[in-house]
Amino acid sequence: MLADFNFRIIFEYLPLFLTGLRSTFLISIVSIILALVTGTIACAGRISSIKLLKYPAIAYIEIIRSTPLLVQIYFLYFGLPTLGIRVPEIQTGIIALMLNSGAYIAEIIRAGITSVDDGQIEAGVSSGLNYFQRMRFIILPQALGVTVPPLLGQSIVLVKDSALLSLISVMELTRCGQTMTSERFMPTEAFLTVAFFYMCIYFCLKSLADWSQKKLIFREAY
Amino acid sequence: MIEFKNVNKWFGKLHVLNDINLDIDAGEVLVICGPSGSGKSTLIRCINRLETIQEGEIVVDGVPVHDKKTNLTKLRADIGFVFQQFHLYPHMTVLQNVMLAPVNVKKMSTAAAEKISREKLTQVGLTDKAGAHPAQLSGGQQQRVAIARGLAMSPKIMLFDEPTSALDPEMIGEVLDVMVNLVSEGMTMCVVTHEMGFARKVADRVLFMDFGKIIETGKPTDFFDNPRTDRAADFISKILTH
Ligand SMILES: Nc1ncnc2c1ncn2[C@@H]1O[C@H](COP(=O)(O)OP(=O)(O)O)[C@@H](O)[C@H]1O
Ligand SMILES: [Mg+2]
Repeated sequence: MLADFNFRIIFEYLPLFLTGLRSTFLISIVSIILALVTGTIACAGRISSIKLLKYPAIAYIEIIRSTPLLVQIYFLYFGLPTLGIRVPEIQTGIIALMLNSGAYIAEIIRAGITSVDDGQIEAGVSSGLNYFQRMRFIILPQALGVTVPPLLGQSIVLVKDSALLSLISVMELTRCGQTMTSERFMPTEAFLTVAFFYMCIYFCLKSLADWSQKKLIFREAY
Repeated sequence: MIEFKNVNKWFGKLHVLNDINLDIDAGEVLVICGPSGSGKSTLIRCINRLETIQEGEIVVDGVPVHDKKTNLTKLRADIGFVFQQFHLYPHMTVLQNVMLAPVNVKKMSTAAAEKISREKLTQVGLTDKAGAHPAQLSGGQQQRVAIARGLAMSPKIMLFDEPTSALDPEMIGEVLDVMVNLVSEGMTMCVVTHEMGFARKVADRVLFMDFGKIIETGKPTDFFDNPRTDRAADFISKILTH
């Protein structure tokens, strides 16, 4: 089987794969950063006691979490133009990934914040610290510790999810595999190469996650 | 110093504070006891508005606590609160725990805040633990840090909610000693506790609560030796056999 494996063609298509890799990488980075912002805002709404902020945030989070990403992508891809909003596929894709991960990140951050013992917050209140001081000195430093590892986990999910953008013809890694397959009909070579590059990104992020976890656990134990 | 006038509070249908009238003088030490769920915590938590009330009035040092215009930060800065479960900030050192409010609420310089914080740590006998983290301390030590944290704000009043109930028996003494020492400095204190020895030794008055009502108040010797109500007598016999 390996004898039939055509390495030459992989090298021939390497420049294409590298542009795909670059594009997957950039899409993921931009989407993650935007998702962090979206998630933080959604989380702030979710834990707010103001109903006008809380309920829209809950609706957003639940809608995203209850529907498949592919449906969300198609919804934006076909839906935005009917609203008269025309954006390139790649932007549509980034918006979809941002909205999708944003909902999960909102819940990750919320879990971090609610993991801080109520009693400590009360201790802060009773000594006269205001909301922002409690957030800054008591809640966030502790929430961060439990939030960073799952956030990196969500980043890994997002990188793999970005493969779905191939279905709206964004020229990312998976789409490159499809292109090579349709031009040369060598799907094994094409998708093994694609898989290899995803694994590279995965292991980079995973070592970052492991490293941060070790750092954080170390800090907890002093 | 602390005045409750016809205070009523409900949690849903539960009438948790039932027509409370109470006057606590400056420098007075009040011990509050009563069965679990009788409203003791709720009562003292109303004093710095950790809980709100539906009826009546609470005035602390001339300030109407439940008035909308009351400056809560100022009010709370003047009242130290010690919890049963200590509630220290685990990610900070002992010194940082004690300094946090003086620096951020009182806006003291770090140098001034550190000075008073170290003084208070010395007062509770933990001079050498300033750099430790709470997890490295025993329960008794953690509770003493919590007391120092309250004292560092130079409060007019200290409130204690069962400060020794979460401690192993051998550590109760060290915390009570710190509190007795505070009494001798003339601090106004409200202490929810079932430590009869402490109450007999330093309390000016004991207040017995049940079902959200003040059932009986009196001098510790009168209360413990000759309770006027059956419920108080029953309660005292229970904590004695405990
Ligand atoms: N936040 C709350 N919401 C609803 N019920 C509460 C709350 N806090 C306390 N309670 C109820 O109020 C009653 C008095 O509570 P508490 O003041 O803590 O009693 P104690 O300190 O005397 O044990 C209890 O029955 C308790 O379950
Ligand atoms: Mg209680």
